[in-house]
Amino acid sequence: MADSADTRSDVVGGEEEQTIGVEEERLMVASQWSLMWLHFKRHKLAVAGAIVVGLMYFMAIFHGFIAPYERATRSEFIFMRPQPLVFNDGENFSLRPYVMGMDAAMDRATFTRTYTVNEDIRYPVKFLTRGDEYNFLGLFKTDVHLFGVDRPGTIFLLGTDELGRDLLSRSIYGGSISLSIGLVGVVFSFVLGALLGGVSGYYGGVTDTIIQRLIEFLISLPTIPLWMALSAAVPAGWSAIQVYFAITIILSLHGWCGLARIVRGKMLETSHEDFVMAAKLSGSSDWRIITRHLLPSFMSYLIVHMTLAIPGMILGETALSFLGLGLRPPVVSWGVLLQQATNIRTVATYPWIMYPGLFVILTVLAFNFMGDGLRDAADPYKV
Amino acid sequence: MAENTNPMLLRVNNLVKHFPIRRGFLKTNVGAVRAVDGVNFHIRERETLGLVGESGCGKTTTGRCIMRAIEPTSGEVLYTRSNGETINLPELERDDLKDLRKEIQMIFQDPYSSLNPRMTLLQIVGEPLTVTKVAHGREVEERVAQLLRIVGLRPEYMRRYPHAFSGGQRQRIGIARALALNPRFIVADEPVSALDVSIQAQVLNLLQDLQAEYGLTYLFVAHDLSVVRHISDRVAVMYVGKLVEMAATEELYYTPLHPYTEALMSSVPKPDPRATKRRIILEGEVANPANPPSGCYFHPRCRYCIDICKEEEPELLEYRPEHYAKCHRAEELSLRGVGG
Repeated sequence: MADSADTRSDVVGGEEEQTIGVEEERLMVASQWSLMWLHFKRHKLAVAGAIVVGLMYFMAIFHGFIAPYERATRSEFIFMRPQPLVFNDGENFSLRPYVMGMDAAMDRATFTRTYTVNEDIRYPVKFLTRGDEYNFLGLFKTDVHLFGVDRPGTIFLLGTDELGRDLLSRSIYGGSISLSIGLVGVVFSFVLGALLGGVSGYYGGVTDTIIQRLIEFLISLPTIPLWMALSAAVPAGWSAIQVYFAITIILSLHGWCGLARIVRGKMLETSHEDFVMAAKLSGSSDWRIITRHLLPSFMSYLIVHMTLAIPGMILGETALSFLGLGLRPPVVSWGVLLQQATNIRTVATYPWIMYPGLFVILTVLAFNFMGDGLRDAADPYKV
Repeated sequence: MAENTNPMLLRVNNLVKHFPIRRGFLKTNVGAVRAVDGVNFHIRERETLGLVGESGCGKTTTGRCIMRAIEPTSGEVLYTRSNGETINLPELERDDLKDLRKEIQMIFQDPYSSLNPRMTLLQIVGEPLTVTKVAHGREVEERVAQLLRIVGLRPEYMRRYPHAFSGGQRQRIGIARALALNPRFIVADEPVSALDVSIQAQVLNLLQDLQAEYGLTYLFVAHDLSVVRHISDRVAVMYVGKLVEMAATEELYYTPLHPYTEALMSSVPKPDPRATKRRIILEGEVANPANPPSGCYFHPRCRYCIDICKEEEPELLEYRPEHYAKCHRAEELSLRGVGG
């Protein structure tokens, strides 16, 4: 047998054997995920998006440390415009920026507060400084912040709101709620969608018909009224955490439909591939076929879909809270923060209260760019 | 061609596969596509039976029904195991079937969709070994290396993924997988139709070498008449879910008994450029397997059609030794083969 095997290798050698470099050999043994990563890396915008998303989530996780103030810390400076960071005082440049002191005064005629910059007082920005006490990751209490200024100085880089609270700190705290609602909501939809979609695609027949009609019904419902109706049904006495979960469930009730359709479609598509039949003919069990052949072949699509669904969830939460139907103060989310911007007079006078909206826009854009790159990379075998 | 007197390996009796047509909201059954409509044939040990016919005539479905890749509607597939025991495949329980998978394997048409792009060669070729628990760990690796060598690939390739290989190499991988469990019988479903002509010859030769070495029996499904002629001992011709003729290769090619076979043979390109072209162009369309014509399914397109053909369906009869045909006029007509 050895002889004939050798002669056959020669035949193949003549057919299409070529000397290959180390680089090519590396590609040939590259798994699906490393091929995806190679594709993804080429998409610069997507990589940038991924970095922004990463930073956002980092910020959300370590919110207490990164934010200079606690979310509820009030100050006497109500509706104060953002304080600029100054590196250069006109004479010399210093790497350690400072903020200038503010003087507050009451305009006797209009009863509004006015703030003037006191250029004589400078508060240099200090890193790893002590400030408000917070609970670090729910583990222990500490008062070390990433940056801050010594009292009585203030550092309100995005300005303050109607109670004199720092908008930057509140946006960072809000991010931890808004971003996690996106994740938790998508996980809920994923479980529902993968389960129902998988059942629908695998069993087919009447089960399939029922699930598909249910999805069509749910998709045909207009989202905003549905959300409004459901969140109106959330009891007023519920705690903040209960409301939080209620809102994520409301959001994912709609979100699973799209995912279920994708799972079903991919299930139908891949179960007719020859390699699935080959596995069946080799005696593989159904479980092995589903877990080794079917799931891996569309897992990448599911991840892409989930990536693109997270911004939808974040926007949904923002919309609900903005309308006053979602989370309520004292819980802070981006939607709750933006609720203040519903009043045109407030927006016109104090435009900086729209800054939390920038976080939303930045996150959603970053997610979309990242999802775009993932989608291009998802199937490395198609040219 | 010498008469094959080897013991019978497979006998297919009245194999039927109907695909129901479901329509409307309630998915009511409104009819059936008769993909395979009463097929009879037999294969002896170490023999290659070519199954030819045009697209949609049920060749592939026949192969898959034998494999139980799809469940036949009715009929018998009698398979004789190596210990002499004869079993009817469609009646087998799931567990017994698993045992039988070791003896019957399949080679697929499309070398691209038949290999999971997310698995290495080791996992693909080793899968039959691991799921049947024939080998474990190192043994799998050794056996895969051996199999790759047998099909003419380097064992070092086993860590690579299929995307690193060309169509011809991928088909070799598919063959290695089919050989993994030392089968006796292989259903080859158009194994070369997706390949370049130069690669086709190599894969065909590999299949022939393997047959000689391991005493394999092939059911070779194809639509390319010259490929079938090259590899088959006997050839069966299908038309709209039925077998219309079956004979030893040369006999079928030179002295066909069925008008459909004659038309097929006239379409084989001749290497002589000066040869007069006398192609028989069939009128009309292939019959619809969901609504086949009366009598002989071929009669609307047949040049020799007489009244009885429109009313009565002919039987598949043995008109000459080992030469079966399904035609009322098989005895009176003298049809042209490839040479004529």
